[in-house]
Amino acid sequence: MRIAKHPILGEYEKGRKVKFYFDGKEMEGYEDEPIAAALRAAGVTTHRHTRRNGRPRGIFCAIGRCTDCVMVVDGEINVRTCITPLKEGMRVQTQYGLSAKEGTEE
Amino acid sequence: MKRYDLIVIGAGPAGLSAAIEGAKAGMRTALFDENEKPGGQLFKQIHKFFGSKEHKAKIRGINIGGELLKEAETAGVEVHLSSTVIGIYPEKCISVNRGDHIENYRAEAIIVATGAAERMIPFKGWDLPGVLGAGAAQTMMNLHGVMPGNKIVMMGTGNVGLVVSFQLLQAGCQVEALIDAAPRVGGYGVHAAKVARTGVPFYLSHTIVEAKGTDHVESVVIGQVDEKFRIIPGTEKEMEADTVCVAVGLNPMSQLVRMTGCEMKEVGGLVPACDEYGATSIPGIFAAGDVSGIEEASSAMIEGHITGLAAAKYAGWIEEDTFKTQVEERTASLEKLRQGMFAPQNKGKKIEKTDEGLPVSASLLERGYMDANEMETYPGVVKKEGVHPVIECSQNIPCDPCQEACPFGCIKVGERITDLPAVTEDSVCKNCGACVAACPGQAIFLVNEDEDGTYGTVTLPYEFLPLPQAGDRGKGLDRSGRPVCDAEVVKVQDTNAFDKTAVLTMRVPREYAMTARFFKKEV
Amino acid sequence: MEYKVFDRTKPIGEFTAQPDDDLIICRCEEITKGEIRKAVYDGMYTINEIKRYLRAGMGLCQGLTCGRNVKDIVARELGISPAELEEATPRPPARPVTAKVYADCRGEED
Repeated sequence: MRIAKHPILGEYEKGRKVKFYFDGKEMEGYEDEPIAAALRAAGVTTHRHTRRNGRPRGIFCAIGRCTDCVMVVDGEINVRTCITPLKEGMRVQTQYGLSAKEGTEE
Repeated sequence: MKRYDLIVIGAGPAGLSAAIEGAKAGMRTALFDENEKPGGQLFKQIHKFFGSKEHKAKIRGINIGGELLKEAETAGVEVHLSSTVIGIYPEKCISVNRGDHIENYRAEAIIVATGAAERMIPFKGWDLPGVLGAGAAQTMMNLHGVMPGNKIVMMGTGNVGLVVSFQLLQAGCQVEALIDAAPRVGGYGVHAAKVARTGVPFYLSHTIVEAKGTDHVESVVIGQVDEKFRIIPGTEKEMEADTVCVAVGLNPMSQLVRMTGCEMKEVGGLVPACDEYGATSIPGIFAAGDVSGIEEASSAMIEGHITGLAAAKYAGWIEEDTFKTQVEERTASLEKLRQGMFAPQNKGKKIEKTDEGLPVSASLLERGYMDANEMETYPGVVKKEGVHPVIECSQNIPCDPCQEACPFGCIKVGERITDLPAVTEDSVCKNCGACVAACPGQAIFLVNEDEDGTYGTVTLPYEFLPLPQAGDRGKGLDRSGRPVCDAEVVKVQDTNAFDKTAVLTMRVPREYAMTARFFKKEV
Repeated sequence: MEYKVFDRTKPIGEFTAQPDDDLIICRCEEITKGEIRKAVYDGMYTINEIKRYLRAGMGLCQGLTCGRNVKDIVARELGISPAELEEATPRPPARPVTAKVYADCRGEED
């Protein structure tokens, strides 16, 4: 799902490759790209399940405004993953309502 | 509290331009933006801009963004990134969220240039992952290098919908369909035509009934609508898709400026009531760019300059005379962009004739491409011996790089930049391709209708990968994207001057020289 | 700009269900079209009232996505143009900020 080479933009400037954890599962992305971009590239599209109806939600505006892509990041809830840079070893969890599901940590 | 002479909120095209003027006038200028990087949406605009040379026409948005940033730096603008302005007060104070705390600032003048947010139309399943804003798709692919999906349905045929559809194709995605509830394409015909000729179908008077799927979009149901936009039962059609992009317009982000208590008005969204220089009803509070009315980025930049000058004058940093001369020049430049069929005053109007009195192509508005037999109506389409430009430009849009691009004087736009380009009669085309690459609408082709009694050639713009090579064989596609004939690539030019628009010449049977407009390699 | 002050003594009729009442309008707080329509018949004639009554537009995004759609729905029920309906009062913070950050306000002194 990553664009290898773009006819106008050529090759994308990316940070170094880093490991992170999505619901305990090890994944790879590039440092400082948005968490959401790394997840999309890895095929993850559901970021959270809503509080009232449990509906899956994902990237919607990609610029930090709609807040639909929030997840639990390093234990903190409601983190907008589309504008939060990915760091080595980050723990990213699907958010259910206002928390992560127990047991998805490790 | 930290003080500045001028505070600008939003580092997009309008905000950057405004800050540049303030700093140039000698004001201590701070520019705040919530994003990690400046430029607003400019760095996602990878297409060549319309307008005239003075509007940076035929330069890609990304490169214009780079130029503006450099200019701001040279002028001495203090740019504060990842700094979200969360409050603004009539006393010309702002609160800014910077990392783990809040800071307050005060200034003599504040310019609000917060831009716009994407408008949304709810439909069944619109909250499923896979439904996203067209701007979101643009951000994913052009900034982060990630495809938003594989099979995409685009809702909306305004310029955003059309431009993003083309960009999706460039990123390697499949665009299944372009949908619009309106009966006519909303954006520039040339933007529609370059998408249509790759084979993407347009469904006008259609809307999305439902996005289906459990955890992600798996299919999309579309349906035809009547004149009151109600779905006509029995017209529903389901298509396989994993992504829906919504491009149904923009809303000015006026929440922040409204906090000052300034007078507001409704112009396709709630905007501050400003004078012609961007001053709101609160002295010292100004607004520029999309927040004060949705337009193109080129207009936003000029508005920014004008408002920056107005703020400098307000705070006593430039003289009345200087202000007048500089603003006059900018205003004249802005007026040029606000002419033609797509001018703000024509929004929503059905325009049936061009300024030249020619009928507007019905096929272009209903299907996204011009019908072959409508072509010769327009002054850019002539038939003659040898190679000659065929300019498939049929709407009065503010744009004239073609005229300047031709070193041999083959193309003339005329008095106003919105006039339709014409091929001059005594012109001699040298098949150099400069106009083909320069046209931001990719609407110019160099055609030899009869090379040797059997074949003709068509030279066309090509911005996809992999780039075909001379000798490649495939099909010539017509304006609707239908394969109509065999084609062989005879030449590919990809020089620096063309700025990534490759110019490809294909040989086709001569009876298809006025029909074939795209090349598809045989696989 | 002149907003319409709606005469609350005039009856607007009874709420009648519509087939798409279950459509989510406010994504953050998961408020449906039907809930918004019903609220109008409960006497919520302004966007500020709808917001306080239902929390539509009060979630993390602060109505950036749904604001206009809520306005359209309410205006239609009242039989007026959306432009005649005042938007919800904007207040700081315009973006989601945690209380801890909001309380740490620096550089107050002049």
